[in-house]
Amino acid sequence: MTTSSASHKRRSHTMRKEQYLTYLLMTLPGFVLYCVFLILPILMGIYYSLTDWTGIGTNFNFVGIENYIKVLTNDRRFIQALQFNLKYSVFLVAGIVIIGFILALLLNRELKGRTFFRTLYFMPAVLSMITVGLVFKQIYFYVLPKIGQALNISVLADNVIARKETAIYGILFVHLWQGLALPTLLFLAGLQTIPQDMYEAASIDGANAWHQFRTITVPYMMPTLSVVLILAVKQGLNVFDYVSSMTKGSYNTTSIAMLIYQNAFERNRFSYSIAQAVLIGLLIALISFIQIRYTNGKKVD
Amino acid sequence: MNASKRRVNLLAYLILIVGSILILFPLYITICTTFKTQAESASSFFTLPKSLYLGNYQQILSHPTLKFAYGNTIYITVFSLLAELLVMPPMSFAISRGMHHRGKLFKALYFFFLLGIFLPFQVRMMPLMKLLGDLSMLNPTGMVLLYLAHATCESMFLYVGYLESVSTSLEEAAYIDGASTVQTFYQIILPLMRPILATVMIREGLAIWNDYMLPLICLNRSNTMWTLTLFQYNFQSEFNVDYNQAFSCLVVASLPVIVLYIVMQKQIIGGLTNGAVKE
Repeated sequence: MTTSSASHKRRSHTMRKEQYLTYLLMTLPGFVLYCVFLILPILMGIYYSLTDWTGIGTNFNFVGIENYIKVLTNDRRFIQALQFNLKYSVFLVAGIVIIGFILALLLNRELKGRTFFRTLYFMPAVLSMITVGLVFKQIYFYVLPKIGQALNISVLADNVIARKETAIYGILFVHLWQGLALPTLLFLAGLQTIPQDMYEAASIDGANAWHQFRTITVPYMMPTLSVVLILAVKQGLNVFDYVSSMTKGSYNTTSIAMLIYQNAFERNRFSYSIAQAVLIGLLIALISFIQIRYTNGKKVD
Repeated sequence: MNASKRRVNLLAYLILIVGSILILFPLYITICTTFKTQAESASSFFTLPKSLYLGNYQQILSHPTLKFAYGNTIYITVFSLLAELLVMPPMSFAISRGMHHRGKLFKALYFFFLLGIFLPFQVRMMPLMKLLGDLSMLNPTGMVLLYLAHATCESMFLYVGYLESVSTSLEEAAYIDGASTVQTFYQIILPLMRPILATVMIREGLAIWNDYMLPLICLNRSNTMWTLTLFQYNFQSEFNVDYNQAFSCLVVASLPVIVLYIVMQKQIIGGLTNGAVKE
C-alpha cells in the first residue's frame, strides 16, 4: 500500500519534471527568435535614436535626446505627416465602422443571392494592398478622368490623386474599397452570435426595430466593435502600402510611415527616423490602451 | 409589416448592387485591359475586348524576373508556414499547459510574447535591416526566419486561446498510460488543433504572400530576390505608361490568390474570421 503510493508519487514527480523540461524545450526556438528579431531590434532602435548615425558607415556620436527634441519642436514635415495620419484615421475609422456595419446588417438579411454577395464583398481581402493600390493608381490616371469628362463632373475630370486637395480622399477610397472586407466579415460573424429569441421577446414586448437595435444589437456587438476599432486605428496610423503605391507621399499625402521610410532610406537620417518611430509607437500604444479600456467598460455581460 | 419589410429588402438590394458594381468595375477594367492592345484601349476603354489579345500576357510571362518573383514568394510562403507549423503549436502547447499547471515562468513568457503585438514595426524596421545585413541574411531565407519570429506573438496568442478550450483530461490519461509529453502532444493534442491550425495558416499565408513592407526593406536590392509584391511595384515604375502591361502584371501576380479564394472561399472566410473574433 505504502510502496505503491510512494512509487506513484515518485512517478508523478518525475513526470512533472520531464514535462517541465519538455515545455521549456518546446518554447526555446520561438523564444530565441523572438528575442533576436523583435526585442533586440527594438532595443537597438532605441539606442540608435539617441545617436546621430546616418545609417551609412560606422561613425556616430551619442547625442542624448537631441533627435527627439528636434522632432517635437522643429520638424514641420513630421507635424504635417501627423496631421495627415490623424485626418486619414478619422475618416478611415468612421468609414469602416459605419459602412462595414451597414453592409454586415444587409448581408445578414435573408436575401436571395446572399452567398454571391458575401463572396464578392470579401474578395478584396485576399488581394495584396500593393496590387489594389496599383490598380487604382491606373484607374485614377486613365479611367476616372474619362468618366468625369463624359459626365461633366469637374472633380473627377483630372487625376484625383495628383491634386493636393483630393489626393487623401483618393487614397481613402481605395483603402475602404479593400479594407472594408474584413471588418464587414467580423461584424457579420458578431451579428450571428446574437440569440434570435432576444429579438422575438422584444417584439412581443412591443419594442420597435430601432429600440431593438439599440438595446440588443449594439451591446452584443461591442466586443466586435472593439476589435474592428483597434484594427482600423492601427491601419490608419500605419498606412504605408497605399501611399507608396499611389502617390509616394506627394500631393500632401506623406504619412508617418512614409516619412520614416524616406528619412531612413532616402535622406540618410537613420537615427532621426527611429526617434520619429518611437514617438509614433508611443502614440499608438496610448491610443490602443485608451480604446481597450473604453470598449471593455461598455461590454455586455 | 410585410410591405415595409419588402421595402427594406428592396433598399438592401439596391445598396448591395451599387456596392457590387463598385467592387467589380475596377476588376472588370483590369481584366478587359489586359486583353487589349494599347491602340484598342485608347479607342475603347470600357468595352469588352474585341478579341482575346494575348500579347500583354506573353510579354509579362517572358519577363526575366517574373520567375524569380514567383519562386521567391512561393519559397518564402511555403517555408514560413512549414516552420511555423513545426515551431508554434508545440510552443503554444507548452505555454498553455505550463500556465495551466500554475508555472509562473510560462505565465511570464506568455505576456512577454504578447508584448510583441503592441511593439510598432517602424521602431524595429531599420535596426532589423541592419541586423539581417550583419548576419548576411537579407535574402528569402532571412525572411522566413523573420516571419517565424513574428508568428511568436499573434499565432501563439490564437493557439493558446484555442488550447484553453481543449480539456486536459485526455492528456492526463495518456500520461498515466506512460506516454511522454512529446508523444502526448503529437498523438493527442495536435490532431485536436486542426481547426485553429487552418485558421492560422490561412491568415499567415495570405499575410506573407501579400506582404510588401518587409520585402521592400530586406529584398529590394537585387531583382533576383524580389517577391511578387516587389515585382508588381517595380514593374509598374518601369512600364508606367503602358497600362495594358501594368494591368497584366497585376493579374499574373494575383492569380494564385484569386483562384485559391474561389476554390476555398468557405475555409478562407472562416479562417480569417475565427482568429480575429477571438482576439
